[in-house]
Amino acid sequence: MKYMLLIYSPENAWIPEEWKQCVETSMQICGEMAAKGQLISAAPLHPVATASTVRVRDGKPFITTGPFAETTEQLGGYYLIDVENLDEAIAISSRLPPAHKGTVEIRPLFKIDGLPAERHATVTSNSETSLKTFMFLCYDDEEAWRKAGPQAHHAAMQEAVALTERLAALGQYISASPLHPVATATSIRVRNGQRLVTDGPFAETSEVMGGYYLIRAKDQSDAVKIAAEHSGARVGAVEVRQVFDLTSIE
Amino acid sequence: MSPGQRPMPVPTDQKTQQIVDEVYRLESRRVFATLVRLLRDFDLAEEAMHDAFALAVTQWSALGVPENPRAWLISTGRFKAIDALRRRGRIDEMAPDILRRLDDVASSNAVRASHEIEDDQLRLIFTCCHPAIDPMVQVPLTLREVCGLSTDEVACAFLTAPATMAQRIVRGKAKIRDAGIPFVIPTAADFPQRLASVMAVIYLVFNEGYSASSGDVVTRADLSGEAIRLGRLLLELLPHPEVMGLLALMVLQESRRPARATVDGDIILLEDQDRGLWNDSLIKEGLSLVERSLSTSRFGPYSVQAAIAAVHATARTAEQTDWPQIVTLYDTLLSINPSPVVELNRAVAVAMRDGAEAGLVLIDSILGRGDLVDYYLSHAARGELCRRAGRIAEARAALTQALSLVRQEPERRFLTRRLSEL
Repeated sequence: MKYMLLIYSPENAWIPEEWKQCVETSMQICGEMAAKGQLISAAPLHPVATASTVRVRDGKPFITTGPFAETTEQLGGYYLIDVENLDEAIAISSRLPPAHKGTVEIRPLFKIDGLPAERHATVTSNSETSLKTFMFLCYDDEEAWRKAGPQAHHAAMQEAVALTERLAALGQYISASPLHPVATATSIRVRNGQRLVTDGPFAETSEVMGGYYLIRAKDQSDAVKIAAEHSGARVGAVEVRQVFDLTSIE
Repeated sequence: MSPGQRPMPVPTDQKTQQIVDEVYRLESRRVFATLVRLLRDFDLAEEAMHDAFALAVTQWSALGVPENPRAWLISTGRFKAIDALRRRGRIDEMAPDILRRLDDVASSNAVRASHEIEDDQLRLIFTCCHPAIDPMVQVPLTLREVCGLSTDEVACAFLTAPATMAQRIVRGKAKIRDAGIPFVIPTAADFPQRLASVMAVIYLVFNEGYSASSGDVVTRADLSGEAIRLGRLLLELLPHPEVMGLLALMVLQESRRPARATVDGDIILLEDQDRGLWNDSLIKEGLSLVERSLSTSRFGPYSVQAAIAAVHATARTAEQTDWPQIVTLYDTLLSINPSPVVELNRAVAVAMRDGAEAGLVLIDSILGRGDLVDYYLSHAARGELCRRAGRIAEARAALTQALSLVRQEPERRFLTRRLSEL
C-alpha cells in the first residue's frame, strides 16, 4: 500500500546541528527504504514563511502569503512510501527524527485511474533544468464534498487528472494523488522513548489535506498560477510550497 | 422443484438444520475470523460466511455432514467470496492477491492450517484493538466482528443509541480497510502496549455474556465461554500477571453461574445462592491464578478484582464473607483504577461491614455529584440499603427509579419482586 507521511514539527525548534543530524538520519532511512523498494520519494519543504495559499472564488484567484493554517507545528517535509501495511508505515514513521519533536501523520493514498506516469527522480535532481520543484497541498472540506455528491466529486477528480496530463505534456509533472478521507489518518509521536499512536490527523480542522501534487515550475508565482487551476481551489485551498533539492544539501 | 412451481421454502431435513445451527453457534466466529484474514474485507467475509452456512443446510442434508465442518465452511466461504468478487466485477483488480492468500491456506498442511485458524480470532482481536483505531471504536468493533454481537447488543452494552454504534463500527471497518491495518498478532515490541486494550475488550465480552445487556435471559453462557477461551489463549501467548488476573476474574465469576438464577431465569443474589452449586474446578483454577498473579509485583486492576471474587469464592456461607478484607481490596482497586462503579461496589461492601446507613452515605455522595444517575444498579443498591435501614418510602422511590432504567428482563422481574415485597 502507498502512504504519504506528513512531517509536522515546530520549525524554530531545530538548531542547525540538530537539523543536520535530522537530515543525515532521514537520508539514511531513505537509503534503507530505497534498497527495499519502499521509497517513492521524500524531501523537506522550504519554510512556511515562503508558502503561498491559493483560493479561487467566483473565478478569481485569491492569493495569500503564508501557510493554509497557522499551527504550532508546521509541515516541514513529506515521504511517499510503498509498504505492506500500516504497521510498517508506523514503524518507519516512529524512526524519523521529527517524530520525537513533532508529529508524523500517516495518510493512505487513494488510488485513481488516469494519472500520468510518475517522474520522481526529478525531485532530487532537477538542477539540470531551470525549473524548481513545488508541492501543492490540497485542502478540502470533506463535508462540503459529501454534500455536493459523488458526481460533483468525480467531475472535480477528472478535472484534476486533466491538469496532471497538461503538466505532463509540458514536462512539469512529477506525481499527484488524492488521499483517503482524513478519518483514515494515523498520527505518530515519540516522547521519552514511548511511541504514541493515535487515530486521526495531526490537527482537527474543518478543511483537511485531501491530496497533493508534485510539479515543476519556474518560480513561486508560476507555481501559484498552476495551483489556481486545481479544481479543489474553487472549494477549498491549495498551499504551494517549494521542495528542497536534496542534492544541494549533500 | 420444477421452474414453473410457486416458490416454496425448501423442505430441509430438520436434523441437518439443527446440526448446522449448532455448528453456527460453535464455529461461526472462527470461520469468520479466518475468512477476514484471507479476504481482508469484513463485509465480504460476513457475506461469504452466511453463503457457506446457507449452502451447508442443503448440501449436508443431501450428502451428509462433512468430517470437519469448520474446514468445509472455510473452504466453501472462499469459493463464495470469489463468486461475490466476480459478481462485483472486482475480480481482476483484487484477484491475484486474494487468490494467492486463498491458495496459501488450501495448500498448507492441515496441522498448520488448523493452528493458524485457531489464532485467527486473536489476530482479529488485535486488529480491532489496533491503536490507530479510536478507543471508542475498538471495543464495539471487536464485540461485533470477533464475538458476533449484534449492533443493538453492542449499543446496549455501551448505553449508546444503535445508530451511533453502527456508525462507529462502520468507521472502524473503513479505517482497517483503507488505512491498511494488518491482520496479525503484534510483534514482541508492540505486544505489551497493545495488550491492555485487548484485555479490556475480552472482559467486556465476558460481561456481555455474564449479564447480557438486553433480552430475556440473565446470562449468555456462550459469550462468557468465548471470553474465557480468548483469555486462556492470551495467557498461553503471554503469561503476564494481569492476563492471569483477568482469566481468574472470569472463571471465578463463571463458577457461580449455576447458582445465579432459578430454573425460570430469575436472579438469585450472591447471599442467597446455593454455594454447593458453585463450580469447584473453576474456583480452584481461579484461586491458583489469583495467587500466582498477586505473588508478582506487576498485578493490576483485574487481579485485584479477581482477589475480591476469590474472597467470596472461599466463604462457605454468606455470613462468613470477609467483608473487611473486601473493603480493603476495593480501596486498593480505587487507588489503581478510580471509577464511580468501583466506588459504588465499595459502598455496598462498606454497608456489609458497617451497616446500611454507612453505605447509603457513600452512594448518596456518588449520585449527589451527578455520577451513575442513569445507572440502574446505583438506584437498585440504594433501594436495597434503604430497605435494610427501614427507610421504606425511599426504598420504593429508588427501586422505581431503577426499574425505569433497567433494560434486562430478569433484572426487571427481580426489581418488581423486590418492590412488591416492601
